[in-house]
Amino acid sequence: MTAARGFAAEVRKGLLNFAAGWREALIQMITFPLFYLLIVLFMGRGQLRADLLLPVLLGTVALTFIHEQVNRVFWSYLGDIQSGVLEQTYLTSLPSAALILGRQVAAAISALPTALAVLATGYTVITLQGGHLPVDAQVLVPLAAIVLGTCGLALILCGLTLVFKRIEIVTQLSVAVYAIAGGTLVPLAAMPDPVAFLSRLVVPIAPGIEAMRDILLGGHSLAALPTGWGLGWLLAQPLLITGAGVVLFNRLEHLARRRGTLGRY
Amino acid sequence: MIEIDALTKVYGQAQAPAVDEVSLRVPAGSVFGFLGPNGAGKTTTIKMLAGLLTPTSGEVRLGGFDVARQRPAAMAQFGAVLEGSRNVYWSLSAWQNLMYFGRLKGLRKARVAERARDLLTGLGLWDRRDDKVGGFSRGMQQKVAIAAALIADPPIVLLDEPTLGLDVEATRTVKNWITEQSRELGTTVLLTTHQLDVAQELCDRVAVMRRGRLVADLPTRELLAGFRERDRYEIRVEGTVPPGFEAVTREGVTTISVRVSDPGEVYEVVARLRAHGAVLESLTQVQPDLEDVFLALVNEPSHAA
Repeated sequence: MTAARGFAAEVRKGLLNFAAGWREALIQMITFPLFYLLIVLFMGRGQLRADLLLPVLLGTVALTFIHEQVNRVFWSYLGDIQSGVLEQTYLTSLPSAALILGRQVAAAISALPTALAVLATGYTVITLQGGHLPVDAQVLVPLAAIVLGTCGLALILCGLTLVFKRIEIVTQLSVAVYAIAGGTLVPLAAMPDPVAFLSRLVVPIAPGIEAMRDILLGGHSLAALPTGWGLGWLLAQPLLITGAGVVLFNRLEHLARRRGTLGRY
Repeated sequence: MIEIDALTKVYGQAQAPAVDEVSLRVPAGSVFGFLGPNGAGKTTTIKMLAGLLTPTSGEVRLGGFDVARQRPAAMAQFGAVLEGSRNVYWSLSAWQNLMYFGRLKGLRKARVAERARDLLTGLGLWDRRDDKVGGFSRGMQQKVAIAAALIADPPIVLLDEPTLGLDVEATRTVKNWITEQSRELGTTVLLTTHQLDVAQELCDRVAVMRRGRLVADLPTRELLAGFRERDRYEIRVEGTVPPGFEAVTREGVTTISVRVSDPGEVYEVVARLRAHGAVLESLTQVQPDLEDVFLALVNEPSHAA
């Protein structure tokens, strides 16, 4: 019960902080749709090509969640270490990994307005071009897999932050690598086999994005995904990554306690 | 009660331990002063006590629970305001902070709200409860941090420099609060401060650290009594004093400081002054304050606990 209350408190705190920084959210609601349109224009060599609008839209929505879950959580975690507030959260009986997962839930919810702005932009442009935005509730499963897998990545980055502090370059690099290797812009099927294999294996968003493409672009059912490694891997991969994230975070936290870096900057 | 046994911390490949075999007992319901110069090992000890730093060896028990092996139970005994950190979220209001930390400590929402109301009212912050802490004065921020540390009503509270940077009024409020917590509610308060007058005023017992080791751990009165300078007197006289005395004259009154090997010599000194025409105003045996004791302890190599 204590863990549940702590988790809920962490989610609520994250949302309060998100509301306090509403200007930043507003800016993101403008810049992310612009980023989406620019990517389509770039890939379409100056044209908003209909065949690119929907695939890139799916990738950009996924990127929105990764951005919030990794960047927001990393910076807020680093800020809490710097200000010493993080140490206060350690003076409780809660496992700190549970609190990071609370931050992740808050970050995923915080990503919704921006994701919706991107979706609205995509819907408008696709409709104006005479196309239509397919809707299928099955897509929520891969979206949830993307969010869960990114939780695992965030746990690892938070653990590294506890020990090494200034690792923003690792964070930025991981988001960039995952954005590319995750198949957000170019499908994994179009990549060299070894890269596609590794992406499906370790990149938290890769199976989710492939599944979203299969469902919304190919019209396939969740139980019969034609690309990638199927529904089983779609569900197992984020769970495995999050499990690995918890284990690694605990190890790094143990190291931070030994070195005395929980609150030192 | 806080029990620390042979606590030692060696950072990395360092030759000398930051904390070396420190053992302490802080009785329940007391205000315990934990003093030492910068770099003495206080912060390291405090962080090990709070479970924020893993000791190289030794044990810490809070309310009978081992911090390393029974962490959840030990942390339920404990609240802390740590020096040099914000302790609470400045982007949230005082009320939101207390609700957050109360829930983190596992309290029910209604219980946290009740406790937060009592604490904010007691610390004079009720009218500002919905204002963001970032907009508060230093004193108000410190009060919110203290309220957050006490939100779950822990039997043990660590206050690391609780009055640092506060004005006179806020310092008074915090000092009264500490006294009330200890005397009326039976809370054990571990207080670290460089403001030795505050420690002398509040603490039942004082421990002093120096270079990672304890050099004193005694009730405050005993510690002061142990350093009373039985051989030093201050004599205030009116008029001139004979040569050879260490004297300071201010507004017509001369203060003489004399050291004697035998208390009987004081009579001889007074007789010499009288013979010289000086009028005796007062004669006092010099009583050391905690600052004198502290300086003596941290500057002399031979003192042991």
